[in-house]
Amino acid sequence: MIDDPRALLALALADDEHVLGARHVQWTGVAPHLEADLAFSSIGQDEIGHAVVWYSLAAERTGTDADALALGRPPDEYRHAVLVERPNGDWGYTIARHLLFDLAEDVRLPALAASSWGALGDATGALRREERYHLLHARAWLARLAGGPPEARERLRAGLATAYPEAVGLFEPFAGEETLLADATLPVPSHELLARWAAAVEAELAPVGLAEIVDRDLRPVTPGGRQGRHTGDFTELWTEMTALYRGDPAARW
Amino acid sequence: MSVVTQPSPADVRAVLDTVPDPEMPPVTIGDLGMVVEITVSGSKVGISLVPTFSGCPATAVIREEVAKAVALLDGVDDVTVRFVRDVVWEPERITARGHEKLHEFGIAPPGSGQTLIQIGGLRGGVRCPLCGSRDTVVDSPFGPTPCRSTNYCRACRNPFEAIKP
Repeated sequence: MIDDPRALLALALADDEHVLGARHVQWTGVAPHLEADLAFSSIGQDEIGHAVVWYSLAAERTGTDADALALGRPPDEYRHAVLVERPNGDWGYTIARHLLFDLAEDVRLPALAASSWGALGDATGALRREERYHLLHARAWLARLAGGPPEARERLRAGLATAYPEAVGLFEPFAGEETLLADATLPVPSHELLARWAAAVEAELAPVGLAEIVDRDLRPVTPGGRQGRHTGDFTELWTEMTALYRGDPAARW
Repeated sequence: MSVVTQPSPADVRAVLDTVPDPEMPPVTIGDLGMVVEITVSGSKVGISLVPTFSGCPATAVIREEVAKAVALLDGVDDVTVRFVRDVVWEPERITARGHEKLHEFGIAPPGSGQTLIQIGGLRGGVRCPLCGSRDTVVDSPFGPTPCRSTNYCRACRNPFEAIKP
């Protein structure tokens, strides 16, 4: 078991991106139209690429390699928020989760840029440049669904209402957060980022009249994904996404 | 008397300017501005590269191709290629020759008028690499590779790609 707080932080960031990337690419070939198909394929590829960056940082701390961390751990050692393991559901839920997640990235990455862990801070630059396109995509679909026919708007609203309480879990404190705050590996505590994110979500949804889904009560986040507690949805996804690796971990491609 | 030659960083750079990008073969690793640093110490060469996008699936192939090409230089015994994370790749890193070759390949190079606002608003203004018209629309900020968007030219009625801003 890994217990280095910096390695665990990098793993949590990596697992969020890896698992959501794995969900996004499940739209490949079956999205409502070709551009949407291409967009989620590309965004998923980006997120998995970002996961590789974080896994590589964790691997430098643990003396392993990125693939072993990404694909060689049992499900209860993954540190992602439960939000990202949920199945894609309908298009409304997919877009809702995409928006809430990418707003969280937009709040978290600038904060991490100032990390005392130089390599981690440096890595945020390229990621932020690429994330701009994800947010553009989420916002374009937010406008389209919110301003669309009643069914589109209702599905988006329902998706947001389902995703929001679990999106809060993206700001569950990291394992060893006190240590990480003490040496400024984390420049900003998770509960402060949660407040910034909730305000960002509200600012995003107010113009389209959907801000009522935002929970203004910023109580401490219930321990879950960051402690390795996941749902059956993840067991299923993990079985699929690690199948090839588990078949022969030493294979060279 | 035999003289053991030691390559200069400029010799290595000249080789990198010939290694094709696996996804846009007319354009090279050097043209795309992926080279961050070249060090030569005796017969050992170290090369630092920056990927155009973190999720670029071609990095493993690029690493191999670069190592293979540089190893052919006289006096080189050992080549180490690594990708760095502390440099942000931007389209401005693409060289003038890279611009020309992208254009010839049918991809609108940076400076063709594409902005983030246009991509978000899906409005046109990108110069079509095929006919030169600016009567174009952005179909999607996403394309066949992470660094390209897909566009449509209303003048010559052709789809085309552009390097994202």
